[in-house]
Amino acid sequence: MIAVLGLVVGIVVGLVVHPVVPSGVEPYLPIAVVAALDAVFGGLRAMLDGIFDDKVFVVSFLSNVVVAALIVFLGDKLGVGSQLSTGVVVVLGIRIFSNAAAIRRHVFRA
Amino acid sequence: MSDEHTPHEPDERPRRPGERPPAADARSAAGDERAGQEERSAAAERPGRDEPAAGDGAGADGADGSPRGAGGGAAGGGDGDGGSARDGGNGGDTTRNGRRRLADGLWPPRLSRAQLIVALLLFVLGLGLAIQVRTTSDNGALRGARQEDLVRILTELDNRSQRLEDEKRGLDSQRSQLESSSNQAAEALKQTQQKEAELGVLAGTVQAQGPGITLTITDPHGSVQADSLLDTLQELRAAGAEAIQIDNVRVVADTYFTQGADGVLIDGHKLSQPYVFKVIGNPQDLEPALNIPGGVVQTLEKEQATADVVRSQKIVVDALRPSKQPDYARSSQ
Repeated sequence: MIAVLGLVVGIVVGLVVHPVVPSGVEPYLPIAVVAALDAVFGGLRAMLDGIFDDKVFVVSFLSNVVVAALIVFLGDKLGVGSQLSTGVVVVLGIRIFSNAAAIRRHVFRA
Repeated sequence: MSDEHTPHEPDERPRRPGERPPAADARSAAGDERAGQEERSAAAERPGRDEPAAGDGAGADGADGSPRGAGGGAAGGGDGDGGSARDGGNGGDTTRNGRRRLADGLWPPRLSRAQLIVALLLFVLGLGLAIQVRTTSDNGALRGARQEDLVRILTELDNRSQRLEDEKRGLDSQRSQLESSSNQAAEALKQTQQKEAELGVLAGTVQAQGPGITLTITDPHGSVQADSLLDTLQELRAAGAEAIQIDNVRVVADTYFTQGADGVLIDGHKLSQPYVFKVIGNPQDLEPALNIPGGVVQTLEKEQATADVVRSQKIVVDALRPSKQPDYARSSQ
């Protein structure tokens, strides 16, 4: 419950306060958000499986974000930034979908 | 499903962090990660000590936690590799458990370290999400544009601001001259005359000279039609021609070509061969504009005519037009 509240508060604060993102971070924000979403879905699924562990969640959340940003950063340096971002988004999207499928089975029995 | 009855049942309430999950639970999670159906059912029959082996098969995330068995037994699931999507459902019992866990997790709210940490991370996620959505919707048109387009747009804007800056500077200096000049009337007269000369070149009422090109079109078979000449003229205008004379006719805004019985007429005057265009403008722009592949020169050559372009540093456009007094239009200034 508190976790959901955290998410809601984060969205509200982001919309209301309108913080300025440093321009160096700006290209990595979208990909980091997608990676974090992946971790969150994984965590939700783990919770439904009854095997949720906060430490694992924290580590996977942070490492997902960092690795995703790192890949994009590397891609930018190599001149294939947009292609690598696409690749990362595709992979994370597949994982989100399969996690969502598992969650769906838990919740809707279908 | 082979693992429908893996012993999840005893574990109905949500597990607290650090609490040891039953071995079978962790094992089935590890099995969900990667292993195929048969492998997993085999694993389900094995007792808990086989867990590290199953964990090994679970890829990097699972391997991180499963061998530890204890608090970290959940590791594979924590990262949520989507392996179980292939399972095709975990059966009714698991589903009920999952629902109950969800409900328990949501209500009543519990203040635990895990909840707080997750809340913090989700807060960061929500923040990033909101910021990203906001910045994306802020300047929508440019955000989707490709890099080359952005560069082009930027260059155009730079050029435009440069031109406007130049214009502003010219107007500023005009104003300051008008203001500071001791003889304001004379200064105004001078500026007006300068303006008149500029407009005269445009209207064809004064002679003009400057760098440019001479285009000579020789058409022995009489196959060049009025539209070809019009195309040529438009090409020259597009390339930045400032004053044009064709044979002895000054080309102005309302110049027209007509196709007569025995040749082309310009503004009602018959054109004689060869057609000579005297054009004032930047020669480096004008000549390539005529010579580009598929351009004027090639088109004319296809019509059995020859077009000859000669650059020159001094072209004199001396054909004049009488200045016309408009009957109805009056300056509104």
